[in-house]
Amino acid sequence: MDFRPLTETERRQLHTALRGNAEQDRVILMDRRDTSFVGMTEEVTDEEVISAIKSVPCHY
Amino acid sequence: MLSSFVTSARRITDEFNRWLSGSRRPQPLPRAEKPPPPKIYKPLCRVVLTDGVGRSLFEGFAAHQESARSDEETGWVLLGVRDEEEALVLATLPAGAERDAGAAHVLFNSSGQAMASRIVRRADRRLTMLGHVHTHPGSLRHPSDGDFRGDSQWVGQLRGKEGVFAIGTVEGKSEAGAPIASQPKPHMQCWNGLCLSWYALGQGDARYRPLPVNFTLGPDLARPLHSVWSIVEKHAERLDRLCRQQADVRFEIVARQTGSALVMRVPLCPPGSEVKIILHEKEEQYHVSLNGRTFVAKPEDDRVDRALYLLLAELAGQNG
Repeated sequence: MDFRPLTETERRQLHTALRGNAEQDRVILMDRRDTSFVGMTEEVTDEEVISAIKSVPCHY
Repeated sequence: MLSSFVTSARRITDEFNRWLSGSRRPQPLPRAEKPPPPKIYKPLCRVVLTDGVGRSLFEGFAAHQESARSDEETGWVLLGVRDEEEALVLATLPAGAERDAGAAHVLFNSSGQAMASRIVRRADRRLTMLGHVHTHPGSLRHPSDGDFRGDSQWVGQLRGKEGVFAIGTVEGKSEAGAPIASQPKPHMQCWNGLCLSWYALGQGDARYRPLPVNFTLGPDLARPLHSVWSIVEKHAERLDRLCRQQADVRFEIVARQTGSALVMRVPLCPPGSEVKIILHEKEEQYHVSLNGRTFVAKPEDDRVDRALYLLLAELAGQNG
């Protein structure tokens, strides 16, 4: 296990991922060998897209 | 020497036992290729349209101008990939014939668009909502105050909390039938007397800002669906329900002499068996392929979800 401090870039990426997971249910990917953080998936859920489509406001 | 012999014999015995038991020496797991790091969204610098998307928007706008409802506003939802500073538009979802529209407003038929998004996104799960286009009947190339009130609330749910918007206006034909688009300003595209002006709006922004637009080569992934849009709208909510209830449902579009049809395939057991539902403009056909035989079914209901479940119940009854 690598206990070194995160670099600034890694810290920002992890922070973004955690915020995305907490606020928008975005998936966080972890390394299956050691459960370390490896990134986020670019896939978007149907629910996210459909919710946005269903709430497009009236335009004038 | 005896010690060396014993060690070798033990190793051979261990390997034989492992082979016999089917176990193998634990191998280190291959380290999967790391996915890209999470995107850190910044304010959009530009929007990129594929040439297919550009054609869909301008040709759809031109067709609308020729239609009986040309005095109404219309529009399209834009799906694509949101990058850190750029939005790539890959699909257009029309407002639909069942939109609520007049000379000064348009509310898209979101049921049809939602169902279409399910179909389109089966090919690429990265597609997300980027924004939308709507037309103005006059020459106002900028979103209205009413647009701002709705959009400024709505963009908070988008990736990067920012949306892409375009306003379509009729500018008058400078060159009748001109086949080549022009770009008089970085955020404007004109073609054959029609103009699209592009803007971005982020959560908390006080106003829209002009957004430079570029073209790249590529398709409109939703364009094939435009030919069956009325069918998608007609069955949208029932098809949407089926997509949520049935796994591995697939869609395709087939061209017939009577017009295009939307085909939905619902897999059955055993593998290779399926119910194929062909949705035409005015009728629906049900074909069942089971154990190498194919037959036509006529469920006694014209609602596609109920008809499918009646059919599945009948098939379950035949299996005892």
